[in-house]
Amino acid sequence: MLVEFELIERARSGDDSAFNQIVQAYRKRILGTISRTIGRPEDVEDVGQEVFLRLYYSLDQLRTPEVFEPWLYRLTVNAAYDYLRRQRRRQESRMSDLSEQQVMLADAAAGGKRRDEEQRRTKIRELAESLLGQVSEEDRILLTLKEVEGLSLKELEKVYRVNENALKVRLFRARQRVLKAFGAQENSEAVAKAGLGSADDSE
Amino acid sequence: MDRMQQDDKLDAQLNAMFAEYRMACPDPEPSADFMPAMWKRIEARRVQTVSVFRHWAQACVLATVALTVLIGAVLIPRLQSDPASNASYVEALVSEHSSDYIQMLAGGVR
Repeated sequence: MLVEFELIERARSGDDSAFNQIVQAYRKRILGTISRTIGRPEDVEDVGQEVFLRLYYSLDQLRTPEVFEPWLYRLTVNAAYDYLRRQRRRQESRMSDLSEQQVMLADAAAGGKRRDEEQRRTKIRELAESLLGQVSEEDRILLTLKEVEGLSLKELEKVYRVNENALKVRLFRARQRVLKAFGAQENSEAVAKAGLGSADDSE
Repeated sequence: MDRMQQDDKLDAQLNAMFAEYRMACPDPEPSADFMPAMWKRIEARRVQTVSVFRHWAQACVLATVALTVLIGAVLIPRLQSDPASNASYVEALVSEHSSDYIQMLAGGVR
């Protein structure tokens, strides 16, 4: 716990300054989780504010301060899920809004400034996001919490309020799908490295 | 390399990829506007909720006033104009059953 139970009790009873302290203690962690879950840095703060807004108006429903963290994670999961669902409905892509020339210019400008480390990180992010894109929004969030955030099954059980076995099954299926996509990616990279399947070979 | 070994290797690579992804996406620093914007949203929601309740309350008051006017304008005059309501219970009973009573008297008691 990043805050004392007493602070949560005070916030529950309507003390705004206590609530402010709770937000300050948890905001960075929550923003990190959201950032890795939704994969869109420009919308992270917006979703984060939504989480704390929901927390503010649901704090009186919290039974005991002991379950505060799973409760906060639950709100985070729900807000991230709502965001991802909205995004899917809109089916908009920031890059697709730009013309091809704009994209090339943006890439060139960014590429000129990027260091190797930055490029590698970007590649990892793109790979992880494309792999996590292979599963549903619910499974993407669950997998991120387990594999990236490092939450244990016990903690996930509290967040999702379902039994451990049901979680295990869902996680296994989601992971298998990601693993399959990862294997296909690895194979295609190996094939590309070996120079197979290129346009020259087809002649 | 057999299939199982390949799967294990892929599994380990995926774990490593997730760990690298975690490092590639550190927790972002909140902007200076984060807290003010959050409180603004909380306040906006509060105002919205209050205005919803206010609309409800106004609707209830209007409905009550309309019902009161209806009762006052339609039902009360109707009740007052009814002669039965002005008479005493015995008078009302007599006027209701007077013809039966005369018939009964004319026919005599059997």
